[in-house]
Amino acid sequence: MSPSRHPLHTEADDPHWMEWLTGLISLILIALLIGYVSWSAMTEQMEPPEFAIEATGMEHVPGGYRITFDIENRANSTAAAVTVRGELKRGEESVESVDVTFDYVPGQSQSSGAILFLTDPGSAQLTLRAIGYTDP
Amino acid sequence: MSDFAARGRDLDQRRKARSAFLAGMGRGLAGALLFALPMLMTIEMWQLGFYVAREKLLLLMVIDLPLLVILSHRIGFEETFDWREDVRDAIVAYGIGIAASAAILFLFGLLNLDMPWSEVIGKIAIQSVPASIGAMLGRSQLTRDEDADCEGPEPRQRRTSYLGELFLMVVGALFLSLNVAPTEEMILLSYKMTPWHALATILLSIALMHGFVYAVSFEGGHELSPDTPWWHALIRFTLPGYVIALGISLFSLWISNRSTARG
Repeated sequence: MSPSRHPLHTEADDPHWMEWLTGLISLILIALLIGYVSWSAMTEQMEPPEFAIEATGMEHVPGGYRITFDIENRANSTAAAVTVRGELKRGEESVESVDVTFDYVPGQSQSSGAILFLTDPGSAQLTLRAIGYTDP
Repeated sequence: MSDFAARGRDLDQRRKARSAFLAGMGRGLAGALLFALPMLMTIEMWQLGFYVAREKLLLLMVIDLPLLVILSHRIGFEETFDWREDVRDAIVAYGIGIAASAAILFLFGLLNLDMPWSEVIGKIAIQSVPASIGAMLGRSQLTRDEDADCEGPEPRQRRTSYLGELFLMVVGALFLSLNVAPTEEMILLSYKMTPWHALATILLSIALMHGFVYAVSFEGGHELSPDTPWWHALIRFTLPGYVIALGISLFSLWISNRSTARG
């Protein structure tokens, strides 16, 4: 490394092949990056967020019940302040309703969260749905 | 009589060495504060102190040490001639970084005895990385002229090799990216930007970097001679520099948990 073993030459006269190799690899990586971004710029149509919510588990915790769930945004635009409402119903009657808010659910991504109920979800019908979002 | 004079000279020399050492510490502290203060005042950096995975924190801290050693070797505070001194200087800089971070966090009321130890240590540890780089830079940038009469055989040639150049880019990238990677704004920006914005940003960054490469290289007057074709510098310095910036950015985002898996 430093100081150079050839004290007098300027590197521009005779750059080491390593420098060109490093440069070449960098060039390829950057070309791939630019290519990918351009491709998505040209092909991507922005579509409004579209959510799919799936409960992944139920657990008894002190003072209630925890329902964990995944929320997936299948569209390519990001939603902010996504509110998910979990509701427990017996027949037509709503027993308990709890909201949880996600700061962001990015496009084509999955986030997970949990809702805490007082009522045993096993004794009622559970629905989970997104009730609103804002554009970031 | 001559014995007395020798003792006086010896005392004088020791006093000089001590004041030089204290001045060095002061400069290190100044550098640490100057560089790390913005990060010490960032909410996300405090939060990172307790939510960052301990393996990631450890990795960051372990990487910091060799980084400081090489940094010391390249631009060192005192003109250092052997690796042992570089290791010593790196540890001193790291120590200054830890002490400065702890002191400032405490002054801001962000540390107290009721907190769990893991939170206290985490907060200090994450801040000590940029602060230690600051301490190293602070000392080296301010000590130059006084070391002209240093005790070494002859001043080290300050000629930067190609690897050295790339290494300095790594340090700069790490430092700058730690400033912004943990912030909430990074997430928001990525959602605000369309691919067209991203494309324009990439091209502008490369153009700006190329400008820097030229400005810096000609200043030193050693890396590139004016008759080198422009694309030589582009391929050998600008593009690798951009790839380094990409890699370090990804690393910083990963450390701060900002690069989440796609579903």
